[in-house]
Amino acid sequence: MWQKTKPYLLLLPAIGTIVLLFFGGLFDGLLKSLGYFPAIGETRFEVTAYTDLFRSSEFWESLVLTGRVAALSSVIAAVLGAVIAVSLFMLNESAKSGGAQLWHRLFQLPLTIPHLVGGYIVVLLFMQSGFLSKILASAGLIDEIRDFPVLVNDPFGWGIILTYAWKEAPFVSLMIYPVLSRIHRSWRDVARIFGAGSWNFIREIVLPVMVPAWTIATFIVFVFTFSAFEVPFLLGVTYPSMLPVFSYQLYTSGTLADRPEALAVNIILAALTILLGLVVYYFSKRWNVLKGWD
Amino acid sequence: MKKPRRLLNSILFLLLFIVIGLPFVPLVLSSVSFGWQWPNVLPESFSFRVWEYVLAGSSGTWSAVGVSLLIAFIVTAVNILLAVPAANALVRYSLRGKWLIEAIVFAPIIIPPFVAVMGIHLTFLRLGLTETIFGVVLAHISPTLPYMVRAIMISYNTLSVDWENQARMLGAGPISRFAHVVLPHLLPGIAAGASLSVLISLSQYLITFIIGSGQVVTLPILLFPFISGGDPAVASAYSLLYAGIAIMALVGMDIALKKYYQNKKIATGKG
Repeated sequence: MWQKTKPYLLLLPAIGTIVLLFFGGLFDGLLKSLGYFPAIGETRFEVTAYTDLFRSSEFWESLVLTGRVAALSSVIAAVLGAVIAVSLFMLNESAKSGGAQLWHRLFQLPLTIPHLVGGYIVVLLFMQSGFLSKILASAGLIDEIRDFPVLVNDPFGWGIILTYAWKEAPFVSLMIYPVLSRIHRSWRDVARIFGAGSWNFIREIVLPVMVPAWTIATFIVFVFTFSAFEVPFLLGVTYPSMLPVFSYQLYTSGTLADRPEALAVNIILAALTILLGLVVYYFSKRWNVLKGWD
Repeated sequence: MKKPRRLLNSILFLLLFIVIGLPFVPLVLSSVSFGWQWPNVLPESFSFRVWEYVLAGSSGTWSAVGVSLLIAFIVTAVNILLAVPAANALVRYSLRGKWLIEAIVFAPIIIPPFVAVMGIHLTFLRLGLTETIFGVVLAHISPTLPYMVRAIMISYNTLSVDWENQARMLGAGPISRFAHVVLPHLLPGIAAGASLSVLISLSQYLITFIIGSGQVVTLPILLFPFISGGDPAVASAYSLLYAGIAIMALVGMDIALKKYYQNKKIATGKG
């Protein structure tokens, strides 16, 4: 009996904590989004918060913005991450020293920088009177501050996209690199015997090998950007705002009536991320991404 | 053979400069600037007044650093205690409904934690947990615990039961088996999980703000008003300090682990 229950007892503290603090919070939020709130005497269930949301253009604009920003940041991060990983891999191929290891470490740096700091770096670089604008002006390419495009606190979300592309590119390269490092050195020699140059080698061998891990990494970045708060809060505009910021604005707007709506936004956001998460899980299992190939 | 390598090296250098170096240049310059008008690439004059303000006792920097680290370390310690037995069960036992258990444990990686925190906020308010460090610690556990479990599971995967059985045959009880056989093997996983846990806890803004209600002042809470429209020099100095502490926490963990193994090597070498 003890042997049978032992693993469940070992799991109990961790599961209990997550169920209580995390799923309890989700459930609490779900109830309140449905208007069930005994503390203020509301014990009926109603879906007005959801129907109001679906009818408001603000919600749909916010959803579109969120999707667009997440898509663009993940694609840019994917391209940049792949360039870093492939360059490091080719460097490692041609050099025997541990130099590649150091390079790899250096490129991981943005991963350790907190999101708020990453966002502020983008502010300093890309605002209209920012560092790049100053460089362009000194080079004589622009004459006025207004000539520099609005890239921070802009309605399109460029500042958010730039921050996430910068922060998440090392993550993408971190996910691809282990797969690449399993490409045997002899494959390179064989490719060369058949007359393949570096470019052909990358296109015919390196790219196909990394595609599964690459896709999954990009998708993870997408899901993460979809639900992140700090950077859009700092770099976005008040309207339209990304979903997490939209929810926060509703939650802190002061009127108690907006709170069920804020929590409804959260529940929709959670449902969407669960859906996206299941897609990632399905494909990563199917392609056996984390284990590579045999 | 020499040529493509040089080309590759210079591409990497350029990338490294643009992606890693350049972003920090304005941050550093701005933190030591004294007036920096638009078309000038360099500040007109330099001063350390901002650093003096940030590092001086009166600005509340050090208490914020202390609170941030205190929360991060309590969260990490709790995570280790919860995650070691859980990882053990997940790796070494065949469980019924394992997929469900894994789904529950790893859910906070996918579902944004602020959803749960906003949901539980009013309940915390009624229980008197808001505005307290304890409440913030509770809020930081669910976003960090899954990473700790994941990291320790990887270590358990490479630990054979045979080693423990051998220790048992030599007469070691459960406590000394755990201390001398299991724990040393898990240590790299625990360290990796602890690094992630500290890093994630340090970078939380929203959930700290909701539960702490602005009364629990961690570094990100202190930093935010400055970076969203305050003095750019102060904001830059705080940003550098904040990033520096995050990096130092990671590097410190790495060095401690290396030192542990070095001592171990010397000890076993002598024995």
